[in-house]
Amino acid sequence: MANHEPVNHALEAERGDTPLLPSERMWGFWEFTYANSALAIATWAFLIGGATALFVGPKEGIAAIVIGNILGVLLATFSTCVPCGKYGTEQFTFLRSMFGGNGSRLVYVLAVVFLTMGWLAVLGLMFGRSIDGLTGLLSEHKTDPNGWIVLASGFFAILLTGIVVAKGPTSIKVFNTIVAPALIVIMGVMLYMILSKHSFAELMALPALDAPFDDKRVNFMIAVEVNMAAGFSWWPYIGNLARLSKNQRTAFWPNIIGIFAAASLGEVVGLLAASALGDSDPTVWMTHIGGLTFGVIALGFVAFANVTSMINILYTSIVGLRQLAGRKLREMSWELLVVLFCITPMAIVLFAPGIYDGFFIFLVWTSALNSALAGIGIADYFFLRRQRLNLRHLYASEGVSPFRFWKGFNPIALVALVAGFAIYVVVFNPQTLANTTFFTFATASLPSCLLAGLIHYGLTRALARQLGWGAYPKRDDSKTEALGLNAKGYSNE
Amino acid sequence: SEPHIQRAQDLERRIRVYEQMEESHDWPGALNAVDYTAMTLMTLVLVIGFYVWGY
Repeated sequence: MANHEPVNHALEAERGDTPLLPSERMWGFWEFTYANSALAIATWAFLIGGATALFVGPKEGIAAIVIGNILGVLLATFSTCVPCGKYGTEQFTFLRSMFGGNGSRLVYVLAVVFLTMGWLAVLGLMFGRSIDGLTGLLSEHKTDPNGWIVLASGFFAILLTGIVVAKGPTSIKVFNTIVAPALIVIMGVMLYMILSKHSFAELMALPALDAPFDDKRVNFMIAVEVNMAAGFSWWPYIGNLARLSKNQRTAFWPNIIGIFAAASLGEVVGLLAASALGDSDPTVWMTHIGGLTFGVIALGFVAFANVTSMINILYTSIVGLRQLAGRKLREMSWELLVVLFCITPMAIVLFAPGIYDGFFIFLVWTSALNSALAGIGIADYFFLRRQRLNLRHLYASEGVSPFRFWKGFNPIALVALVAGFAIYVVVFNPQTLANTTFFTFATASLPSCLLAGLIHYGLTRALARQLGWGAYPKRDDSKTEALGLNAKGYSNE
Repeated sequence: SEPHIQRAQDLERRIRVYEQMEESHDWPGALNAVDYTAMTLMTLVLVIGFYVWGY
């Protein structure tokens, strides 16, 4: 019995759900800034910039990109990076404190699994169109956006992603160190080529590619909303990166350089190129931007970079799923999980390739969920718990933890989530772009975030203490108890 | 030395470290009023500035 291998607890904490101690965290300010920027500068930035060009011209587009991204990133990181950076907890383990154990699993499926499957399909199709564009450049082949080359290549990209992820994480790091710097070089060359053909004033005067409404204000606010959705779309991923940072300040500020500034820069390049070359699809305008040689290099590299991004999000999602899921899923082989995860995106590529051209619709739907989640997170951590979390409650076994709520779900947080989602769709319908006058002043993400937060705060104050849910401090408590907790017994015993 | 007991002891140790930091209010690198003021001002400047310039 005494011959067990010693457990490497620091490594287990890094890959598992226990809180990382400050001394174990590996990223200082610049390390997290680099990792953060490498995540932000991916091919999706070109897609979002191109989508912005559909609604507004470059001048309004740059404003929409900056305004939307800073608001989305700020609210997403407030609700994830600040608490995870303080306590070093895994993001979805931390969510037990507001959603309950089963509630945090449900949020994981809604926010991470669905989002990842959608992005795998979109990036797979982008890979397919890059290959189709390359074939068109190098031969007499006439490109077809939904032709067999695109669909077969998209299917192959997801298959390749699955194979690499099934083999484990060792090859992933190598790809990451190459892709981000090379994409920065390509972006710089693109910007130079655009500015050498058009003056800045000419660029700023270009119109929108396909504005859906006559009212310029509505088009501008849709562009802001698309970019706010891009900012909020980091919500499911960013907390688990922030917990690797040495302290709370290091967990927060690099996001402003990375997923705000670097992502915005990539989107602006995508916006300018789409506006100047008259097509929102990066795989189309890359074939026109700088002649045959540059087109071949850029498209080839974008195809490669897409697969790298796909590998990153698939690997991260499956690791998280295994940590959160019950015993059945944990005992399932890694390879089988990868296969199951890839089936839906493969089906989307083959049977619903239209998701690529309307990808901003998919992105905005995710914001209806992420904005409400951010609002609930801010209300719970900042206003109800006043930035103090009881770790003993968080890691107590579900039977005795005050974070059990009702059968592992917190009905209050789920009601707030549904209300936030509903108000979003009422104010702005992502599918049809139908909107209310209120939307043209307030966007849809901000009301969703605010309403979900207010409902969570109000119902928790009114009901949680009587029901014995969540161990929330009293309103007039100046000090949250840190010790003297009755809950013993650990979830990983 | 059984792994599950080791893990429980390790988790207890980690929780105690954070409880001590909580008790002593010792949070190196914690966000403070200066950070929150800076991020609020930065956001206001970016939103208002780009709105006026771009729209």
